[in-house]
Amino acid sequence: MMIESQNHAVMERYDELLDGQDQPRPIARALWDYFHKLPKEDLAARVAAVDAAIMTAGITFTVYTDAGNIDRAWPFDVIPRMIEFREWQRVERGLKQRLEALNLFITDIYNERKIIKDRVFPAEVLQDSKNFRDACVGFKPRLGVWAHVCGTDLVRHSDGEFYVLEDNLRVPSGVSYMLENRQLMKRLFPEVFGRYRILPNENYSAQLYDTLAALSPRSGDRPVITVLTPGIFNSAYFEHSYLAQQMGAELVEGADLVVGDDDCVYMKTIAGLRRVDVIYRRIDDDFIDPEVFREDSALGVRGLMRAWKKGNVGIANAPGSGVADDKVVYAFVPRMIKYYLDQDPIIPNVPSYLCMDEKDMGYVLDNLDELVVKPANESGGYGMLIGPMSTAEDRAKFADLIRANPRNYMAQPTLSLSTVPTLTPEGIAPRHVDLRPFVLQSNRSFVTAGGLTRVALRKGSLVVNSSQGGGSKDTWIVEGDS
Amino acid sequence: MLSRVAENLYWMTRYMERAEDTARLINAVTLMSLDMPPDVRLGWDTLIRVAGLDKVFFSDGREANEAAVIRFLQRDESNPSSILACITSARENTRTFREVLPWECWEWINELYLYARNNLTHDLDRRRRYEVLQAIIRRRQSIVGLLSGTMSRDPAFQFLRLGRNVERADMTTRILDVSCAVILPSGDPASSQYSDLLWMNILKALSAYQMYRRYVSVHADSRKVIDFVLRNREFPRTITHCLREISEVLRTLPQPAVPLSAVQELILAVDGAKADALEGSQLHHMTDQIQLGLARIDAALRKQYFRTANGSAELSEAAA
Repeated sequence: MMIESQNHAVMERYDELLDGQDQPRPIARALWDYFHKLPKEDLAARVAAVDAAIMTAGITFTVYTDAGNIDRAWPFDVIPRMIEFREWQRVERGLKQRLEALNLFITDIYNERKIIKDRVFPAEVLQDSKNFRDACVGFKPRLGVWAHVCGTDLVRHSDGEFYVLEDNLRVPSGVSYMLENRQLMKRLFPEVFGRYRILPNENYSAQLYDTLAALSPRSGDRPVITVLTPGIFNSAYFEHSYLAQQMGAELVEGADLVVGDDDCVYMKTIAGLRRVDVIYRRIDDDFIDPEVFREDSALGVRGLMRAWKKGNVGIANAPGSGVADDKVVYAFVPRMIKYYLDQDPIIPNVPSYLCMDEKDMGYVLDNLDELVVKPANESGGYGMLIGPMSTAEDRAKFADLIRANPRNYMAQPTLSLSTVPTLTPEGIAPRHVDLRPFVLQSNRSFVTAGGLTRVALRKGSLVVNSSQGGGSKDTWIVEGDS
Repeated sequence: MLSRVAENLYWMTRYMERAEDTARLINAVTLMSLDMPPDVRLGWDTLIRVAGLDKVFFSDGREANEAAVIRFLQRDESNPSSILACITSARENTRTFREVLPWECWEWINELYLYARNNLTHDLDRRRRYEVLQAIIRRRQSIVGLLSGTMSRDPAFQFLRLGRNVERADMTTRILDVSCAVILPSGDPASSQYSDLLWMNILKALSAYQMYRRYVSVHADSRKVIDFVLRNREFPRTITHCLREISEVLRTLPQPAVPLSAVQELILAVDGAKADALEGSQLHHMTDQIQLGLARIDAALRKQYFRTANGSAELSEAAA
């Protein structure tokens, strides 16, 4: 396979596999060599085999459009992204540190609010928080942990450093694609695996199981663990089913569960009702209990909050965790780490301008063409303005939105996301990537070996979301130089 | 085992079995039509009637010729029981309980679906039709083999077995009914020869011809065939065999008394029928009775396992 070098004009960006002279970094030499020597037809045949495997495996996600919901095959790129083990160890420590601080913050916010009293965190951010839950005030869940599963989005800037872009603490998804990507690579490129020592990532399901089992209110080796899904029409249904299968857990829908007069949760089985110990819920807070939150929800379970607050069932992530999943709260995480742990953040934040601050808002409004503006509580890349690619009309619209509701907006400089060589219709060319590792915390912490590398398949695009033309790659944490 | 999952498992195999048996039926009837003399009428419309789909089919004034009937049974969008519709429903059902099946199972079912969707085209000639339907049967059988070879004999497995046998018994009665689709010219000296041919093809539609010849007779005599198809205990597609499987499965499940008694009742009715009295309309009456009995079993299963009541009595029992 010939790799056209002019595709690789290195500008102000960092490439994960190639150095400034378009030469493979030491870690990537064997991989680069392999892809160079692979005949074009051979590569094409394997790519076709990958596509066929994805089709038969039915690895799909759902895109919501006006024309109806479409099940799309998961776009996968065969050239992996590599990270050196030594560097990864540091990232791993940084991710655990961050989640630990976030969990301390959530407990504090629903209880003493010391961080506000000590003037480290402004009270007004909380007042307008969409994801703050009154029902959680005064509550401390088992082990003091709220967010048991976190998907942290990292990006690498042109300076070669990783930055945290956002913390997904509600119902982060994507881990099943990370696991499936590895299976695909092993099946279709077994020879490359012989050339490297790649950290396996398969143990995630077992780690997730242990994390959830630690939340069981009853003792015993086999707690009854369920994955609560909104159902088959949810875009992440594939993942819900996948994780239930991998953990040997029951995949349940709201209608399968019932809360008894004893405030315990039961599932409806062929032999009658059976007590449930832990619920890994993949439904937003708003929908989990019509008794407390949205009354019109048909997805949830009436009385679930009662059962949880009585300590009769573990829920991951705990209701109310979303208070820390907010792009304005995000800006305060480095200060939280210092405040709760008395440590310096290992992985820095992307510099952020909060529109609730008058000076910052002025700067944002003056520099809309250079900044990325994000609403505080959206996910999936919706409702964003990417300044350098926007029209004057877009910018005017956002200026109005920001002035109307400053608390709901924050802005960051447009980062030059790092790239990884990617197979495109024009040959191998650089495409921008981010990285979503998954972090677990209950009685101990765990970070996946790598994570889900998402890639913006359109040339020059910085949007990696699968709903907007993104794909993914296998992510290798590699020991040694080659 | 969740009630919802049990119900989906049950329906998944019912759909799969229906798809496979419809494929077998089309193949057998196609071959039969080649053997029959020109003056013997093969009523393609009766094929629609025995499948219980006449209302759907005739609602828009279609003519029941070979092409229209085959298209209807294979993939017509107005037919919820077409082969493709059944495979699609089975696949969609499987999505809801992938976690209880061996991992490859979903891939194989998905592959069967993709094959059916791409190959059950509207204009299959007879030769190609035979190939495609055989390939569908083969794929479905490999899924059965996969499950049988890699799945624990847990409740999930038992509900798959339950669905398979209920549907299979139902389809067997329908295939028996095909005998009514052929009207033999009376008084023709060759008539008995064609009668044998007809019953031979009924056996073929059930893939029972070889076993029948081996254990009963080389001649496909109507009484012997009817007796075999209803009551043979060894062959896995007979009514008696399916009912015994159902009752065996029920004994492994919690609180089986009510559905079990519905099964016993039907077993007695089938055992008690006299083979020499089962010809023509009598046979049709018998198959009707069996279909009603199967519907009663289905209703009992639904009540016992699929719609768990959540009254407080049961709650306190479970909490105790």
